[in-house]
Amino acid sequence: MRSLFKNVWFKCITALLLIAAVSGGLLSVLNDVLFVSAEERTDRAIVKIYGELKQYDVEYDAAQDGAETIDYGYGRIDKVFTVDNGADYLFKTTGYRGYKEGTITLWVRVSVNGGVYSIEKVVLESYEKQTLMSKLGGEYYGKFRLSDVTAEYKAGRLFSATDEDKNYNAVSGATFSATAGNNAVNCVLKYLSDKETANED
Amino acid sequence: MKTDFKKIAKDGLITSNPTLKLVLGTCPTLALTTMASNGIGMGLAVTFVLICSNVMISLLKRTIPKEVRIPAFVLIIATFVTIVRLVMDKFLPDLYDSLGLYLPLIVVNCIILARAESFASKNGVIASAADGLFMGLGFTVALTLMGAVREILGNGTVFGFKLWDFSIGFFAGSAGAFFTYAVFIAVFSLISYNAEKSKKLKNLPELKEAE
Repeated sequence: MRSLFKNVWFKCITALLLIAAVSGGLLSVLNDVLFVSAEERTDRAIVKIYGELKQYDVEYDAAQDGAETIDYGYGRIDKVFTVDNGADYLFKTTGYRGYKEGTITLWVRVSVNGGVYSIEKVVLESYEKQTLMSKLGGEYYGKFRLSDVTAEYKAGRLFSATDEDKNYNAVSGATFSATAGNNAVNCVLKYLSDKETANED
Repeated sequence: MKTDFKKIAKDGLITSNPTLKLVLGTCPTLALTTMASNGIGMGLAVTFVLICSNVMISLLKRTIPKEVRIPAFVLIIATFVTIVRLVMDKFLPDLYDSLGLYLPLIVVNCIILARAESFASKNGVIASAADGLFMGLGFTVALTLMGAVREILGNGTVFGFKLWDFSIGFFAGSAGAFFTYAVFIAVFSLISYNAEKSKKLKNLPELKEAE
């Protein structure tokens, strides 16, 4: 037994296990303390978009138990909020088919004015597999501003990768990254169009 | 043994500057220096990890068997990197998003592993902490200066403040990063070479007198 404690491999394994156990314990405590909840992330997004915290209600949340998945194949709707008593819609939407099958999650602010939906602002929430996606600034997201979302959708004018998007290749790695962004916003267009069709019916 | 803080500071900032002299941590240096604020953020994150990991490795240097020292160092470094990530995500979300993938990649940053292996595992706690601090500061200063130059030339801004409308797109891209880095290394080498040369010339009469 004594020889076991003096064995090099025993010492090595014990040292590594001890370090891993202490690190794991410390990190699990810190993870609890510093955890950023979904509500906190939503509040951050609202401050980023509106410049101040606004009151909002949840219209749709894919993470809620029993919620139906809204997936259009090229992207999905993660959350829909009504802000300022229905004056605005705020979407959290994820576009597929990015660089190396990566995704882009965006916040899209849609204002409602006399039954007309307009895209006011698009902000990046997160991205996967597209390491420099955060480098794209307001110029890229500015192109999504639309005065009448449903009319554009009905006319078949969904967003697609343009020549301008190719300018972003140098920083984002490939045209596909712009495609995922376009797909994310296209999901919002589809959602609102479906909503209007349902209302008409 | 007395700790020579002056030498440690000079090594970290000038003689063995990790970015401009040892050419370590090149990946974040090239990718993140599009803005000066990114340079400061990344530099401070690396400095924190360097100080903490150096202290911890110095404390455990007699406990960790030499056969598993590298995996043990990586475990310790990864712990502190995760702490930095959690803190940044909580309190500095914009910087956290901006640093992106390069934040977790600090785990495999050559500077940190090199200092753990070559300094912290052989020296006392205070000397190791000082080494971490000055190596980190050397890295931070280099990244911030490079970021400022690239931001001014490539974007016409510095720390996000608009200076003028003029900009050269080349400096904001990857090729501009390599070019700026090369210019920085060349200028830094020229300055240190001239400083060494004038120091030698200054000491020459004293040497002759001693002979």
